[in-house]
Amino acid sequence: MPDESQSLAQIQRWMQAVIMHPDGVLHGADSAEARQHLDVAGQIEHVIAASQQMNGEERLAIYGRAYYARLLECMRSVFPCVDKTVGDEAFDDLALGYLQQYPSRSYTLDQLGREFPQYLEETRPDRDEQGRPTESWPDFLIELARLEWAIGEVFDGPGVEAAPLVSAEDLRAIPAERWPHARLVCAPCLRLLSLRFPLNDYYTALRDEEEPELPAPAETHLALSRRDWIVRRHALTRPQYELLSALLAGEPLSAAIQRAADASEDLEELALELQRWFREWTAAGFFVGVGSNE
Amino acid sequence: MTAARLGHENLGLGVGLRTVHFGHILDRQPEVDWFEIISENFMDSRGRPRYVLEQIAERYPVVMHGVSLSIGSGDPLNFDYLARLKRLADAIKPRWISDHLCWTGVLGLNSHDLLPVPLNEETLAHVVNRIRDVQDFLERPLVLENPSSYVTFASSTMSEWEFLSRMAEAADCGLLLDVNNVYVSSVNHDFDPVEYIERVPHERVVQCHLAGHTDCQTHLIDTHDSHVIDPVWELYRRAHALTGGVSTLLEWDAQIPEFPVVHAEVLKARQYMTPDAAAPLPVRRPVAALDERRNATDATPHPLHLVGREVQ
Repeated sequence: MPDESQSLAQIQRWMQAVIMHPDGVLHGADSAEARQHLDVAGQIEHVIAASQQMNGEERLAIYGRAYYARLLECMRSVFPCVDKTVGDEAFDDLALGYLQQYPSRSYTLDQLGREFPQYLEETRPDRDEQGRPTESWPDFLIELARLEWAIGEVFDGPGVEAAPLVSAEDLRAIPAERWPHARLVCAPCLRLLSLRFPLNDYYTALRDEEEPELPAPAETHLALSRRDWIVRRHALTRPQYELLSALLAGEPLSAAIQRAADASEDLEELALELQRWFREWTAAGFFVGVGSNE
Repeated sequence: MTAARLGHENLGLGVGLRTVHFGHILDRQPEVDWFEIISENFMDSRGRPRYVLEQIAERYPVVMHGVSLSIGSGDPLNFDYLARLKRLADAIKPRWISDHLCWTGVLGLNSHDLLPVPLNEETLAHVVNRIRDVQDFLERPLVLENPSSYVTFASSTMSEWEFLSRMAEAADCGLLLDVNNVYVSSVNHDFDPVEYIERVPHERVVQCHLAGHTDCQTHLIDTHDSHVIDPVWELYRRAHALTGGVSTLLEWDAQIPEFPVVHAEVLKARQYMTPDAAAPLPVRRPVAALDERRNATDATPHPLHLVGREVQ
């Protein structure tokens, strides 16, 4: 006989708690979370009917396995470099912990890994008694996860494919007296990253199917942008990073170049380099407009 | 009297649009009758997926198929989601919008699975009310699909075809009859798939789905990773005869082959558009001879839909 005393809300809350339980549906049905909705522990068939071939627990377990299998596959495809770095088994452990701490609340799988870098930070295993990190490799993994998340955002975020771009000629056409006050409007897909590790080279090596060693810490800088719908990586020097950061923050060219100068050891060389930089950056589609505060 | 297919055109034989085929479709412009998209993969995109969709929508009829409406959930409807869905529909002008008779989560969570509902009066009233709200918001009828399922509930009081029939009538919505799902669920829940196909309200069937699945001996899993099997084609033959022909679409979501292979698979449907008195019954073949490609714990049920990132 159908058990109509179980409401839709009770059944759904119970079933969700059971199939999302990391230790399987039997543990799930025993959990306090599930029992607060329907207290049928050990008697799954009070909710889930048996088929000719399978009992209720076996049938429900299909959903339990599918839940983690599906989301782990998704996490691996969003963070392939973290996965390759730690190996599938360790990655699955990290991702399983993450999915329990930060289950999806979005209608789209695209958001599934949003808090993964933060989760890695929160759960890093190397903290001392005062809670201070003692190793550098967790920093490396966290940065790598941040980079992979940023690549995803640039890939599917706003871009410049349909926008008019500022060319090197456009820059040369700016009258000299306007240069100091000119403001370059950066492409919406331009992202700047200041990193504690040489991640760009590491990323390239992984992409090329190499097996790179974990690199030693070294400050590096990277720009991400998108041309023709594909995410492009541009290694930056620190003066380049400072200059672009200032432009991205809306500072006029004079102030931005001053930031680069502050970060440069050789000002004469900087003066020679600036023109080349802007030629490369305009070719890469970093700028979509020229404004002024005059 | 309800018009056949709720008045929608029979678009012919279409293919589910998947990321791996973007390049082929844009370059070759294959002669496909229509495409179905996964709405969630495009509604927030401002990158290549959206660009490709706009190109395709200019050349082909497009239908929007969602996986996160969660029409059966006890949670309130997500009107932010619905607003995004509607904006996408306003932009690409799909022939219709579909999703599944299922729930994806409660208490704000999303399992990203198509979870079945208990088939009883309480659920029916709940789902019908929500379909009406969604249809009012989207300003168009909704088309809902029968999902593959792996459990049935002790609290169910009616068959799935009865639930769908009463739901469609009361909410005045359309049905997406997934013939493979009927077959998968019929094996998993020990019901007769022919009776199911015969009893759904044929005039409300706007579209059919076809796909492959995985036989795990004690049950079938809807993996969308292979060819459509013969018993499913025979069910399709019956569905075609009873509906008078509806837009038909093939879904292939894992181990996806080259586009021409996927397209050729749906074109096989032409062979099943005539009655055949000698056709075999759509019954399951002996399990041992079937599918040993995977074991039961390996097969991940549909859906898994994530757009791969492209980076240099």
